[in-house]
Order: sequence, then C-alpha cells, then structure tokens
Amino acid sequence: MWQNLREIKVAMLFGILIPLLSGCWDSKEIEQRANVLAIGVDIASEKERKKEDEISHLSKKFPIPDEEMIKVTAQIAVPGEIPLGPQQPGGSAKPVLVIEVVGHTFEDAILNLQQEIADELFLGHLRIIVLSEEVARSGTNRFNDFLRRNPEIRRTASLVISKESASRYMKIVPELERIPSLYLADLVDNLSSLGKFPPSFIGLFWTIYSSKGQDPYLPYLEIKGKSSIQLNGLAYFHGDKMVGKTNPLQIGIFMAVRGIGRGGYGAFVEVPDKNESVLVRAVSRKTRTKVTLKNGKPHVSIKIQYESEIDEKESASIQLSDSAILEKIEKATSKNVKASIEKLIKSTQKKKADIFGFGEHFRGKLPKYWNKNVKTKEKWNEIYQNVTFDIKVDTHIHRVGMKSK
Amino acid sequence: MGDPKEITTLQATTILISTIIGVGVLPLPLFAVRAGETSAPFVTLTGMFLAAIGLVFITSLGIRHPQKTIITYSQDIIGKWLGRIFSILVIIFFLILTSLTAREFGAVVVTGVLRETPLEVTVIVMLLLASISCRNNINVFAYIHNLYVPMILAPVLIVVAFSLKNANPLYLRPIFFGSDLWNMAGGMLTVAALFQGSFIITMIIPSMKSPKKAIKASFWGILISGGLYLLIVIATVAIFGPEEIKQIFWPTLELARTTAIPGNILQRLDIIFLAVWVLAVFTTLFSSYFFTIHSIKELFRLKDHKVLSYFILPCVFFLAMAPQNILHMYEIIQFIGRIGLLITILYPAVLLLMDFLKSWRRKRNVAKSS
Amino acid sequence: MSLLRPKKRTYKKPQLLTPSKLVHQKENTPTSSSLDETEQQIKEILGNNGDLKIKHFKIFGSFSAACVYFSSLVNKDSINKDILRPLMYEPEHLIGKEKPLAQLIDIILTETLYHGEAKVGGCLDDLIEFMLRGETVIIMDGLKEAIHIGTRKVDKRAIAQPETEQVILGPREGFIENIATNVALLRYRLPTPDFQVKTMKIGRLTKSTVAICYLKGIANETVIKEVEKRLSEIDIDAILDVGYLEQFIEDNPFSPFPQTQSTERPDKTVANLIEGRVAILVDGSPFSLLVPVVFNQFYQTTEDYSSRFLMGSFVRLARILALVFSLIFPSLYVSLISFNPELLPTEFAVAVAGGRAGVPYPAVIEVLIIEIAMEILREATVRLPKQVGGALSIVGVLVIGQAAVEAGLSSPITVVVIALTTIGSFATPTYTAAFALRMLRFPIMILAGIFGLYGVMIGIIFIFNHMLSLKSFGVPYMAPVSPSDYQGMKDVVIRSPLWWMPKRPDFLHPANQSRLTEKDNKVLEHNKVGNDQREGTSNGGSEGDHNTSGNNNLN
Repeated sequence: MWQNLREIKVAMLFGILIPLLSGCWDSKEIEQRANVLAIGVDIASEKERKKEDEISHLSKKFPIPDEEMIKVTAQIAVPGEIPLGPQQPGGSAKPVLVIEVVGHTFEDAILNLQQEIADELFLGHLRIIVLSEEVARSGTNRFNDFLRRNPEIRRTASLVISKESASRYMKIVPELERIPSLYLADLVDNLSSLGKFPPSFIGLFWTIYSSKGQDPYLPYLEIKGKSSIQLNGLAYFHGDKMVGKTNPLQIGIFMAVRGIGRGGYGAFVEVPDKNESVLVRAVSRKTRTKVTLKNGKPHVSIKIQYESEIDEKESASIQLSDSAILEKIEKATSKNVKASIEKLIKSTQKKKADIFGFGEHFRGKLPKYWNKNVKTKEKWNEIYQNVTFDIKVDTHIHRVGMKSK
Repeated sequence: MGDPKEITTLQATTILISTIIGVGVLPLPLFAVRAGETSAPFVTLTGMFLAAIGLVFITSLGIRHPQKTIITYSQDIIGKWLGRIFSILVIIFFLILTSLTAREFGAVVVTGVLRETPLEVTVIVMLLLASISCRNNINVFAYIHNLYVPMILAPVLIVVAFSLKNANPLYLRPIFFGSDLWNMAGGMLTVAALFQGSFIITMIIPSMKSPKKAIKASFWGILISGGLYLLIVIATVAIFGPEEIKQIFWPTLELARTTAIPGNILQRLDIIFLAVWVLAVFTTLFSSYFFTIHSIKELFRLKDHKVLSYFILPCVFFLAMAPQNILHMYEIIQFIGRIGLLITILYPAVLLLMDFLKSWRRKRNVAKSS
Repeated sequence: MSLLRPKKRTYKKPQLLTPSKLVHQKENTPTSSSLDETEQQIKEILGNNGDLKIKHFKIFGSFSAACVYFSSLVNKDSINKDILRPLMYEPEHLIGKEKPLAQLIDIILTETLYHGEAKVGGCLDDLIEFMLRGETVIIMDGLKEAIHIGTRKVDKRAIAQPETEQVILGPREGFIENIATNVALLRYRLPTPDFQVKTMKIGRLTKSTVAICYLKGIANETVIKEVEKRLSEIDIDAILDVGYLEQFIEDNPFSPFPQTQSTERPDKTVANLIEGRVAILVDGSPFSLLVPVVFNQFYQTTEDYSSRFLMGSFVRLARILALVFSLIFPSLYVSLISFNPELLPTEFAVAVAGGRAGVPYPAVIEVLIIEIAMEILREATVRLPKQVGGALSIVGVLVIGQAAVEAGLSSPITVVVIALTTIGSFATPTYTAAFALRMLRFPIMILAGIFGLYGVMIGIIFIFNHMLSLKSFGVPYMAPVSPSDYQGMKDVVIRSPLWWMPKRPDFLHPANQSRLTEKDNKVLEHNKVGNDQREGTSNGGSEGDHNTSGNNNLN
C-alpha cells in the first residue's frame, strides 16, 4: 500500500511546489538587476558633500565615521543598448549609465545609489574598482569590509589606483570596446598575461594585506590623451595606506625580486665600450630568496637568473655577431638590474612597505626568530627598514631574433 | 534486517567517503588554521589519525559481532539496560548531528546564494529529501552513496587543481608546530569531529557480503576522505595564508570563488561548487538520518522504519532551528563535536575492551573446565 | 515485493469471464453423433455470421459429413485441394478396402488427408474456438468426434524497416504484427536448441498468444519464472499490444521511468536475449518487450555495436550529453537568468539582459510557455499525415519562434535553449525513456524557478534517488553504475571494443557468463607481428570452426 502511495505523494509535493513559485524569494530577473560593472571611489569635494541626503542615517544623530566622505561613481549597464550577437554599426545611445553619489562609507554610498535607481543593484558583475590616489593614501581598509562581506562581489575583480580622480575613468569612452568598464577590466586583466604586472586582483590584495610579512601593491593607472589609459607604475602600500609608487620599468624589477617568472619588460642597455645601446627584454626569470640572520640581524640574499633576448639595437655600429659581445651585454644588464633592485628596495624600506614579502620568508623559514622578535606586522615593518641585502643577478641572452648581425 | 546481504566492500568504502565529506568541507580550513596557523595541514592529519583510531575500534567491534549493530551488541556486552541507555545517547547524538548538518547547510545557502529565501525553507526541503530517501532499504542506501561519490570528489579536485596556480608555498611554513600545542590538540579534536559520520559503518557491517573486509573499507574510506580534507586545507592555506583564512567563514568556498577555469566558460566556480556541495551535504544528512531511524528501529524492535522517517522529521527540524545565528551555531557545532568524540571513539573503545575481557575470560573458563 | 501488486488486481472476481453465454453453456458438451444435431448447435451459436460456411459432402462417396469454417479466416485453396478433394475422391489405394465407420477417422488422418495440422477434437466449445481461429472442422454423421484442420490464413504486412528505430549501419528488418513471423525472425538468428519459446494465452476476449522467449542456460531461471508468474496473473479482457502487458508486469507503475524496453528490432531482441534477458512477444503487436532492463540501455542502440568502437563510443557520448541537456538545460537557463547571472561572462550577461528587456514574464514562466508550446507542436506533428507534418514543423518552429521573439513574448536566447532541449530529447533512442526525461523536465524547471541552482540540484538528487531505488525484475535500475559491476561498466559511457568484454554483464545474473572464448584474444596480435610473419598463419586468427561443414546453406 505504502509503496504505491509514495509516488502519488511525491506528485502532490510537486503540486504544492507550484504555488510556491509566487514566493520565489531570490528570483530576480537578469534585466531587472542594475548590473554595476565598475566603481570609482574618490574623496568627496566640499561641494559634493552637501548633496548628501538622510538615507542611511539622520544627520548628526549618528556617530559619523571620522574619515572623510567619499564619492562613488558607478557604471551601470543599460539593458537593451548592448545588443546580442554581432554589433550593428551606429547605436548612438550610450551603453552605460554613470551615476555619482556621496557617502560616509562604501555601503552608505551604495545605499544612496540604490535610492536613485529603480532596479536592484547587482554587484555580481563588478569587474573593476578604481580608487583615486587620494583615497588610497588615506587608507583602503574602510572599503574592504563591505566588499568582503557581500557574497556577490567577485574575488577576482580588479582593484586599481588612479592618478586622476576615479570618476574620470568611469566616464571615459574608449574606442576599442563598446562597454568602457569592460575595456578597463580587460586592460588590467591582460597586464599579468603580458608580463607587465604581477597577478593582481582584489582577493590577492586582501590576502597580502592580511598576512603578516608583506605589504600589498596595486597597479597605478594614468590617463593619457583623451581616452587611453596607461599603466604608469606600481602603487605600494604600508598596511592599507598607499605610500608611494614606482615608475613602470621598476615593475619589472619588482617582479624579478618577487619571483614572478613571466618577463615582459625590456630595457635599453648600453653596450660596453660603445656609446650605443640595445634593447634587452626579459623572457623569464628565476629567483631564489634566502633569508639568514647575520649577527642576529635579518639578512636577505637574492639570486636572480634572467633569460633575455635582444629585441632591437639602436644603431648599425653595434655588431651582434659573436658571443663575446653578448657576454658583455649580459654583464652590463646584470649590473643595471642589480642597481635598480637596490634602488627600489631602498625606497620601499624608507616607506616601510615590504611589498616583496621578505617577511613571509622570515616567518616561514625562521619561525623561532619570528616568534621571538617580530610576531606582528607593525614590528616587521619597523625591522624591514634595517634589513640588509645581498643581490646577485645573472643574465643569459639566448636569442637575438631572426637577424644574424 | 531482512534484506539480502549485498553490500560490497567498494560500496561500504563509498558510503564512508560520502558520509564523511559533508558540510564540514567549507569551514574545515578555518578550524584547522585557528588551531594550528601554518601547520593546519598537520592538525588535519592528526585529527584524521584520531578519527581513524575510533573507526578501527568500531569496525573491529562490528567484525566481532557480524550480525549486529552497536545498538544490539552493546546490550550483549555491557548488559541490557546500560546498553540501552548508551544506545539512546548515541541516537540522540546522531539526531542532533543530523539537525546541525541541516542547519549548517541552510546557513551557508542563505548567506552565500539564496539571500532572501527563508532559512526554514532551505532546511526543510533538504530534510524532506533525506527523509523520503530514507524510506528505502539499506541496499538502495548503498547504491545512492556509490553513485554520488565520484560526483562529490571530482569538483573538489578540479577546484583544488585549478586554484594551485596562485599558491604560495611560503604560507605553509613552518609545517609543524605553527602554534602552541594545546591549541593544536584542540584543533585535532575539532577536525576529528568532522569524521564522525564514519560511525555509520556499524550499521553497514551486518548487511555486508563479507563483514571481514569491513576493515579494508574503513581504511580506504578514511584515507580518501581524509586525503581530500588534507588537500583542501593545503590548497586553502597555500593560497590565502593563515591570516586571511581567519577572516573568512568558509575558506573552501572562497577558494572556489578565487578560482577561474581557463577559457572563462563560467565566470565563477563558487556557485557550481556549492551546487555540487549540496550533493555532499545530502549524502551526509542522509547517512545520519538513516542511522538515527534505523537505530531507533532496532532499539525498540520496530518492524518498519518508513513511517518513522516522517515521524522524526519535525524533531530534527526544530532542533535545527535552535541556534540563534551563525556564530552561535558554530559554537554549538564545536561543542557537540567534542562531546560526540566521547560517543564515537571512547564508547566503542570501552565496549571493545570489555568485549575482549569477556571473551578472554570465557576462553579461560573453557580452558579451566576442560 | 512484486507479489503485493498483482494480488490486488485479482481482488474482485469478475462476474462473467466471457460475455458469450452460449459457448459458456455448452462448455464441455461433447458433440453429438448426429450430423444434423451438431450442425444445429453450431448454427445456434454462430448462425448469424455471414462468413460461416457449412459445406455438406460425402466422404469417399458414402459417409455424409459437413465441413464448417469461417470463409474470412481460411485458406480456401487449401480446403479445396488438400481436404475436400482427397476426402471426396476415394484414393486409389483405399478402393475396395473395407472402411468401417469406427475406423473412419483413423483412415482419414493417416491415409487420406494431405495436411500437417489435422487433429481430433470432441467438445463443441473447443471446436467453435478452433473455428474462430481459422481452422476447418469436419463433422461426420454417426461419429462423436470431429476433425479440425489448421487452415488459417490471415493477411499480414510484409517485413519492413522498423519505423521508430532507424539505423544507418545494421539489419533493416523489423517485427510485424504476426507472432509466428516474429518468432521466425528470432529463430533464424538463433539456430540453437537453447532458444526457447513458451506460449500462453492472455485476454478473455482476444485470447492473444503471448510468447516468452529466452536462451536457456544464459537467462537467469528466477527471472524466467518471475516473468511467467507475473504474466499468468494477468486477467483482462483484451491484450491488444505489448504495452498492455508492460503495465501489468512492471515493478513500479508510478515511476516515470520505463522498466521494460520495447523494441521493433529482431536483432536488438536477439542481442538482449544473448545478454540474458527475456523477451515477450504478443500476437498482434510489432514490438517485443525486454526484461529486466537497466537505465543505460535506453541510450544504447544496436548501431553502437555494429559500428567500430571509437565511433560507437563517440556517438554514445553525444547521446548522453543530449540526454542530460534534455533534462536540465531549461532549468539551468532559468536559474542562471533569474538567480545567478554572475556566472555568465559579463559581456554575455549584459547582452542577455538586453534580449530579455521587453519580456514581461519572469524567466520560468517564459520558459514554461515556450516549452508547453513545443510539446503541443510535437504532438501535433506526430498525429499529422507525413506530407503536412514537415510543413507544420517548419511553420511552428520558424514562424512561431520568430514571432514570439518579435512580439516580446520570449527572448531569443530562450528560443535557442528550448530548441536545443527539444532536439536533445529526440536524440535519446528509446521513445519511452525520452518521454520520462521530457516529463521530469517540468518539475525541475519549477524547482529552478523557486530555488535556482539549489532547486535544480534537489530535483536531480530526487530523480537519481528514485532511479536508484527502482528495480526491474530484481535487477537494480542503475546497474552497472551503482551497484557497480566492472564488466558492465565497460559498456556504459563508452562502448568498449567487443574483445574487451569477455563476460556478459553480471548484473543480470546470467547462468553462463563467457562471451568470448577462454583462449587469449588474438585480435590485436597481427599488429605486433610483421605482415610477412602473418602470412604463415594466414588463417590463424580465426581458426575456430566457423561453419565449414556441408550444411552451410544460405537460404
């Protein structure tokens, strides 16, 4: 008896489920979500601050966060303006909507933004967050909490620092792609596959930030001309505050020290005895970092092996015909690199920003020393200033291209 | 049990694997890291060994009484009433375990995916699924586990494999003793508690084709599930580092969120991972639910377990709704887990010891009388 | 547990087994010795029928007799030539001999009639039944017994290609309605004494012949007994098709999944017999019913085995994919659109949102509407005559799809999804299994509408659990996947080469397992040995006695 009734019951169960459709609690159609594709964060100006309305708190009745107010610029996709399939020429309407709001915190600003938009904001497609340098220098920690708590946010979204105000990046109209934020996101994503920047996304930023022996870094962008964006260097942090930036070439140096194998940067190297130079491009690197205690003082020795190739020579007077000259170039390159590394490390030491993660090496490899003398991140940053270094660079040029001379 | 004894060693192994791997996969790295910092994998390993020891006890008890489960042979060993009292304790423990599993599942779903859906609905749907499935006999129970094991293992392995590209081996060092010993011992207990599902073996042995091979099944079961746990812990720690893990409720889920499949077929793996994880939770829930109703059936010598499966549903549901919030829930889970170790490891150990003594005494008596 | 069900069916004892009271009254009445009386009785029962013919004649010119038959059912030629002629013309060797009345039947049967199927019968109701089956009855005056001769001739259709199971590679024969022909089709593929055909009659009115075919020594005895038992418990007035039987003998009638397989193909039937299954044939049905079944055979075709194994495996993989598609594709779509758009690539998600912008309904409703429209269209296409059907499907798919998109009823992606799903469900070779999945698509879709991917998962778990708990004649439905069986697994996802599968699948518990010879397989040996060496053993690879005996006729 039971055996047969069971299936009837199951059928009834499904029958009961149908009215439940009305209560499909989480069902939110894709076109009814306001897809936020990119967000830019700036410090709100005096004028903009006045615009704030009483949305998430009544003014003056709430312990207002003592940080400065921020201005969030969001880029939202306009459904219907981005066609399916191959793009038709023309299409005058703008595919995205750019909205600016102000708020005390990130969530505050998002709430304010929701107040202006009919559809529910959806952050699942948030591909890139741009922080202006000003905001980054005042500390990024205030944004992290919201971004971490919200399950919609992708951990693989990019986080970048901009030289100009971030809202300019939201309004930029690139020529290569219809949706501006996608162009921006692809630009940043491709940096690491081109070897222009170490892997960098928001999850990695948090990971590095929370680990004790290293400090985070982010790409630093600058707008060139009307609508092109350039990777202008690497912003490095002390804790959650941006403290400085490198120039673009130093990113390559940084990647070498950090031990990222993929090379992408090329540099002019002066050929010894001649006043001419060739462009040597790093293909791959191999880094070995060793940490020791010298008289109880932390000491790091770094060994870097470069595999490079010559991409271009400056003038015909250089003859790349025998291996002896290559050897000379190799040596010159090594020397240059070594000098740059030392310079870069010096500058970060000055700012107490251990972006290379030497602290992690000490923590992992010399746990006794670490537990006794360091323990906390702040302490490590102090110690990092006085770490001594010993750098060895070895360059091998294996390829010179298709030209024999 | 009335059913033909058809469960093979392979099926017993798969039952163990899919029972052990469950909701615990998600917070496991957090538990391990809280206890052992960088030596979280080591903590996991020790926890696994502790669980293995408990499993050896219960399996060898089962092999010594190949026709009975712990509910029935405990009455032979320590007397009828004492045995019954302990059996009731075991049943209550598994009842709570079932409801906590359902609750933890509901909490993850409500926080991670279905944010508007009431917690009650997600929990009750899962419980209904388990209770309807529990109406089948033990052979179907074995088939169900057998089918789902590869589906549970595969996505975890895929996520781990693809995520390792961002791994930083420095986060794993120092491997041993990254934290103080007391802390690590506590972590070991917490991790061992995640293996409590392996207790189900006592229910399977009487239905096995060859109960002697149960020990083999236990060995492989704990090796594969423990290996998977270890792999997850290693991967999460190597990618996030201990400090970051401490800030995340479910590091394994976060691992899936950080991982992208090459080619961008799907932008995010976490939802897919969660979907398959539902399967893992179902098998765990199914096992403990099945164990509960079958134990009740055996204790009170009922003929049919089918009605019982609906009967205890409200019970489990209200227990599942007891914790106030997610933090409260994890406190309870850790506490119940520790208590459970007494039941799943210490109790079988005592039983085994007494059983040995008894048979030794009997042998001596036989020798004397002859 | 299977015992439970049939018992319930035989609960109510029917008042009357056959509506025909006349025959019932005459049950076991011996025929009268008077010709007139017998004739009268027959006329009483069958007299209204225009095709009942009673021909009076004199056997050997002296004994008066009557030949009774239904003209619509018999071969008149045979009656004239093989029955009437020898009886009316006294054969030469009998001329002058004494022919006492008492021995007349004997003389007729052994010395006179030129017919293989002549028998003696005594009861009136039996004789009438024989007549109804197309036999000719000869009643003789003065004798209580009568002779009945098998002269049945019913028109049957020619053996044609199976309509529902077409293959590119493989035999082209299909079963027809006539059971004798069908058994013949099987017998000529299985010229072995192990091939057994047991018959029984089911159906109070139709009295359909049901044949249970199996290979003795391969099929499991308990399965055969169970099949016989379940069949013998059926008590119904009519069995018009094998599908009637299916509904009585399956284990779980409430399951959406078929627990028997019906096929039109003799070669498929034979292949299954050889694996150890039992086939059931019914007179009047061009299908054979195979039991026990497991799920994976619903996506296998005979073509998998007749083509090379790489090709077979590839096609099978595609089919499995189609099967999965047809079950969950729409619900995945719903949950991606309504619940987790973050899973889609951003460019695509934004574009899809654009496509859906004008659609007023939520994705679930939209998909359900289009899906139901598709079902109606499909059903209409099946019912329509062939010439119109093609046109309609084009109109339906192209015009309605396009119009629906333009009218804002559905988004273009939805149409693509539903189209893919529908095509996917056609790729499942077994109609009944495809139907099950088609039907289950709807509850999953609704679950997806409520819970998104979580709901899809719940639905899938539910379906899997149900399938795992099913049994077909004692064989777990999901075997050999779970419970797993190594020999059977070789033939689930991929179709392994035939020489990799030396054993019959174990889950059917066949009495005899070996498929290939015990000797090591030599199939691949010629790859290792050079060609020149192979010449020496040119007949080596297949030295077995491949019928080189004389009676190797090709008829």
